[in-house]
Amino acid sequence: MNSSGLSFNALPPIDLPFRFFISAPLFVLLSASLIFYSGESLWLSRWQPSMLALTHGFTLGFITMVMMGALLQLLPVIGGIGIAKPRLIASSCHALLVVGTLSLIANFLWPSTMLFFLSVFLLSVCFLLYIGAVAWVLVKKLGQGSAITGLRLSIFSLFLVVIIGLVLLSRTQLWFLGDDFSLLVVSKQLTNIHAILGLFGWAGLLIIAVSFQVIPMFHVAPSFPSNITCSIPVAIFTCLVVSYFQERIALNLLVFLHAIFALSLLWVIKKRKRKIPDTSIQYWQLSALSLLVLTVLYYIPNDYLSKAILQRKTLLLISLFIYFYLFSVIQGMLLKILPFLSYTHLQQRCLTDFSAMKYIPHMHEFLNKKHGQWLFYLHVFSGGSMLITIMKPSTFWLFSLLLFIEFLWLLFIMINTVSLYFTVDKRLNVLLPINPNR
Amino acid sequence: MNTIPEYMTAKHRECDDVFSEAESAVAQQNWPLALEKWQCFAQELNQHFNQEEDILFPKFEQATGMIAGPTQVMRMEHQQMRALVQELDNALAAKVKDEYLGLSETLMVMMQQHNMKEEMMLYPMMAEHVSDGNKIVDAFKSVS
Repeated sequence: MNSSGLSFNALPPIDLPFRFFISAPLFVLLSASLIFYSGESLWLSRWQPSMLALTHGFTLGFITMVMMGALLQLLPVIGGIGIAKPRLIASSCHALLVVGTLSLIANFLWPSTMLFFLSVFLLSVCFLLYIGAVAWVLVKKLGQGSAITGLRLSIFSLFLVVIIGLVLLSRTQLWFLGDDFSLLVVSKQLTNIHAILGLFGWAGLLIIAVSFQVIPMFHVAPSFPSNITCSIPVAIFTCLVVSYFQERIALNLLVFLHAIFALSLLWVIKKRKRKIPDTSIQYWQLSALSLLVLTVLYYIPNDYLSKAILQRKTLLLISLFIYFYLFSVIQGMLLKILPFLSYTHLQQRCLTDFSAMKYIPHMHEFLNKKHGQWLFYLHVFSGGSMLITIMKPSTFWLFSLLLFIEFLWLLFIMINTVSLYFTVDKRLNVLLPINPNR
Repeated sequence: MNTIPEYMTAKHRECDDVFSEAESAVAQQNWPLALEKWQCFAQELNQHFNQEEDILFPKFEQATGMIAGPTQVMRMEHQQMRALVQELDNALAAKVKDEYLGLSETLMVMMQQHNMKEEMMLYPMMAEHVSDGNKIVDAFKSVS
């Protein structure tokens, strides 16, 4: 094991992960507005430009935004060292991701050469910088266990997603300029691979790797069975590679592997010893159950499905995965990360005078448990309205409204936590001597 | 359970078990049981910290020459956790359920983040560099 450069204490400055977290709900608010203004036509097919804009608002604007911020905090814990030059890299990547995603969404809605080049340039630089910085940590043989393997495969998947995304974007542009039909056909196959890699690879593998580590530890539960922790991340990644050649077979296996993960997740949660009420656990349970519902829907033979469901099956499956699985896990994790980061950064300031610790609020004061619970209920309701809207697009306004309320609430929770952090931080400025290293 | 990583990781889990029993007792406002479990946890935790700070960390520092590195950060985090344990003592003595549960959630997250660093990196590195690991574990077992 390589121990050079090991620090354990490379906690990034708090404003770096927080800027990613706070930007994320803003993108969902933007997406809710898009749903409202696009009306019923958005739900006609997944190939609608407005649907592509919405999908990227969710996946880049929310999922990737939060995951990139969270990784800054996670790497020093499971890898032993943080990224180099965290302020420069993280603040540049954040700015590039925000403007790049906005340009991409705008380019889907109002295609133009300027928006095309802007989004390609900003997102390429953003991911090149970020993946390079994280890979610099991950190539070192520091941490051990399946979490690191999963993390490495997830980052590699992100690299492939970005490359394919850029190729697709270029093809879309060529198509808008009047290219032939064959390019469009290739684009559809590539789009599927881009989506599979992004959802199952980048987001899915990261969540699975993290869950193997955090659920047994934070909830005093048994470890996931070792044959699952060793085989699932590698098997998923193998399927992702296979999807390039045999998309259908790879998808069948990917859904099956996620069902195994979901069942083992529910088993581990059921066996936990720490049984105090916890909204994060409810989020994990919801995400596991959603994966099982997705599996049933995926494997039911088409003959047994009504015509209405059959027509919208793909959209239902993608929505279940993104909104009920990925969004649920991410919100559940945010409920832990936000108050903990606030606490731990302030506590580090008290190392010279532990008596000042009494001024630091504990985690439930940073993030009221009831507020987290309400967020969960809002998520369930907005998710339900999303499924109804997919089946009956005329109810789009309800989904848009509930989505807006839910993410406005999440934003309120975040701002509450951050403002309490700064209030206490100012108080400590008065109480404690100035630390020259801050 | 004879290697440093196996033994110390098992001790983390034992601490977690008693910790969650104390927390459940507080949630049910069973204060006598909560006090009994909490004291048991605090004693286990203290013994664990002492074994690391007095024996394992110095051995590791001696073997690797890494004096101001990971072990120093681990010592600092022990201090942070000790301060939280003190606050939890006070909350338990005052029988303030919400205060206790807010602090216990905080300690839990801090403790697990700390454990992850030890279990995934520091203990395997110790197994690699500290030559008489099994003897040290035997000595730990004899006092626990």
